[in-house]
Amino acid sequence: MPSKPKVPGLIKGLGVTMSTMFRTLKDGANTVQYPHEKETPPTRARGVIALHEDNCTACMLCSRSCPDWCIYIEGHKQLAPPRRAGGKPRQVNHLDRFDIDYALCMYCGICVDVCPFDALFWSPEYEYSEPRIADLLHDKTKLGEWMETVPEAPELEVGAQKK
Amino acid sequence: MTVLNERQQLSYIAAQAADARLNVELETEGMTLNIGPQHPATHGTLRIIARLDGEQVVWAEPVAGYMHRGYEKLTEVRTFPQVTALINRIDWLGSFANEVPFILAAEQLMEIEAPPRAQYIRTILFELSRIANVSLFLGDLGVQMGAITPVFMAFRDREYVLNLIEGATGGRFHPNFDRIGGLKDDLPKGWIAETKQVMKKLRTFCDEIEDLLFGNEIFQSRTRGVGIIPADVAKSYGMTGANLRASGVDWDLRRDQKNAMVWDQADFKVWTHPDGDSWARCWIRLQETREATKIVDQLIDNIPAGPVMTKVPRIIKVPAGEAWVSTENPLGEMGYYVVSKGDLGPFRVKIRSASFNNISITPWVLKGVYVPDIITILASLYFILGDIDR
Amino acid sequence: MGLVDRGRMPAPLTKLFNMGRSYSMWVYQWGLACCAIEMGAAFGSPRYDVMRLGVIPLPASPRQADLVVVSGTVTDKMAPAVKRLYEQMPEPKYVISMGSCANCGGPYWDSYSVTKGVDQIIPVDVYVPGCPPRPEALLEGIVLLQQRIKNEDMAAKWRNEEFTTLQKTAALEKAKSQPAPEPIVVGGGPIE
Repeated sequence: MPSKPKVPGLIKGLGVTMSTMFRTLKDGANTVQYPHEKETPPTRARGVIALHEDNCTACMLCSRSCPDWCIYIEGHKQLAPPRRAGGKPRQVNHLDRFDIDYALCMYCGICVDVCPFDALFWSPEYEYSEPRIADLLHDKTKLGEWMETVPEAPELEVGAQKK
Repeated sequence: MTVLNERQQLSYIAAQAADARLNVELETEGMTLNIGPQHPATHGTLRIIARLDGEQVVWAEPVAGYMHRGYEKLTEVRTFPQVTALINRIDWLGSFANEVPFILAAEQLMEIEAPPRAQYIRTILFELSRIANVSLFLGDLGVQMGAITPVFMAFRDREYVLNLIEGATGGRFHPNFDRIGGLKDDLPKGWIAETKQVMKKLRTFCDEIEDLLFGNEIFQSRTRGVGIIPADVAKSYGMTGANLRASGVDWDLRRDQKNAMVWDQADFKVWTHPDGDSWARCWIRLQETREATKIVDQLIDNIPAGPVMTKVPRIIKVPAGEAWVSTENPLGEMGYYVVSKGDLGPFRVKIRSASFNNISITPWVLKGVYVPDIITILASLYFILGDIDR
Repeated sequence: MGLVDRGRMPAPLTKLFNMGRSYSMWVYQWGLACCAIEMGAAFGSPRYDVMRLGVIPLPASPRQADLVVVSGTVTDKMAPAVKRLYEQMPEPKYVISMGSCANCGGPYWDSYSVTKGVDQIIPVDVYVPGCPPRPEALLEGIVLLQQRIKNEDMAAKWRNEEFTTLQKTAALEKAKSQPAPEPIVVGGGPIE
């Protein structure tokens, strides 16, 4: 059988309400007034993937390791002018299409990890809802625009070893 | 029998019929009550069919499968890093805890071990995900009994823990931070100091909840002595975790099992309760949250310096073999039986999730209880739908 | 509201009605999977507090709700229940699809038991990306939906047409009311 508490639960609950009210008056509310003020997510937050197009060589590693197959890449080989005067023209991969389907993406970060040329970055932005599902397919210009929001990588904690 | 005239006969028949009708009205008749698949009290899409006699449950059965996503089949066509990203979503409240047993099994097959720094950080994140999981349970518990305030408190303080997890791993819910052979990255600067502050806040939250909810008369009278599960029944149904410890069985894999995690470096108490009723199950979870904050506090000062990743090949191929690793997850024992044939991905993965076994006792424990108690018993058993159906 | 059905409402009154609808949306508590917890954080947590936006997360019955957030994986076994719950909601009703699973299957795109997107069974107004989306992302989706409702042409919605803004309808009607320009005839007369 329940033991009879010294203070009735009703009074206790009102006490909690009172103390929370005083704390709110003193320290300010816990609420972030969303459309007017926005809290900044941590720098590592996985919000949206940004593409640095110059670094991409259309190697398809990200597309192949994606668990959802939500990255679409098309490219072709073309000849670029030689680096040194008198050298042979180089063969480079040119990126024609780089789309990420954010309706399908599972935000695991494998593509960013496997990219050997540092072309993909995580940005903590999260505001890109769409009324049409087709608009969630971001093409390479839109992915390039996200590059502005990519933060610097944070410093590491004491005792960490640089890779 | 005296001979009645026609009018008397008619009135006699009418009286008989009225009696019969009254009998029919007073007679109770079995009723089938369907709870779910969409019901606020089943936190998710569990369906429970209960046959009632008046207010009492005669027979009850859970219908699982409304959240079945075919995990074991999906793992067969994915590589090991992809499986790690996917299995976060089994128990979505304590996601990091899902990754650890799978990674440990893969490491066991590859015969490598994560460096000590990675093991410490893993254990800390494991306990943080336990706190994130169980603190929501403590808030949700009040809602099932008509008290709304605890859920606001739980969400307020849970946000701090989620911020920690996101600051270190990048994902609020699905970290995908574990890699075979260590961790993806090291902790960001200032994380340790922040964690210590948050742990203080969470201990205050536990005290508040204990005072406000567990000391409440209504809560006590609705949970004490309700849904009692004796130890032998709990064991025979394969229950694990806090539900088993609430029945008085002293069994915790964190303490009883040796693996590449550093729980043995921390000093913590495994709480048990002899009663086995709903109140005991809730109380055990409250104590476990407290213990988890203590474990984090003890481990976080002793993180050794060094790398967080051992040397592993860039493309991971796990050698052929079989491994079974289980850990004490927030909901109970969770284990993975990984069969590898030396390919990029596992050949077969059997997932043992805690909630599936915990929920299988509902036909036994719901027999004979009253209808309002169904909700409290289900709330105290604490299951997560993704963990039941996978 | 016969006037609303026929689209005969004066424009200022329509705007007033639309504003009223957009700031008093009752959202049905409907949790499916992981996203339900983030939805709970957006609706129940003091940090996000969706009631500031005029969205009231109280009804536990679809019959009192205007908005439903499909939060999480819809499996083939759950799909009939989803459809039935949606049909119980009174018109006008709105749907937000939250997270990759509800958008188009997400991580379970090759699973045998998952419906690849809730828009296969019910119409969706706003898609919120994320796995799961942050609570603020859901709030952004709600703000986007409110902006859409403010400019919505209700007559088109009652006629079961696709989303039309008030401005578009006004432009169409203006074009209709003006006499059609004389066709420019090139060459000779009609071909016999």
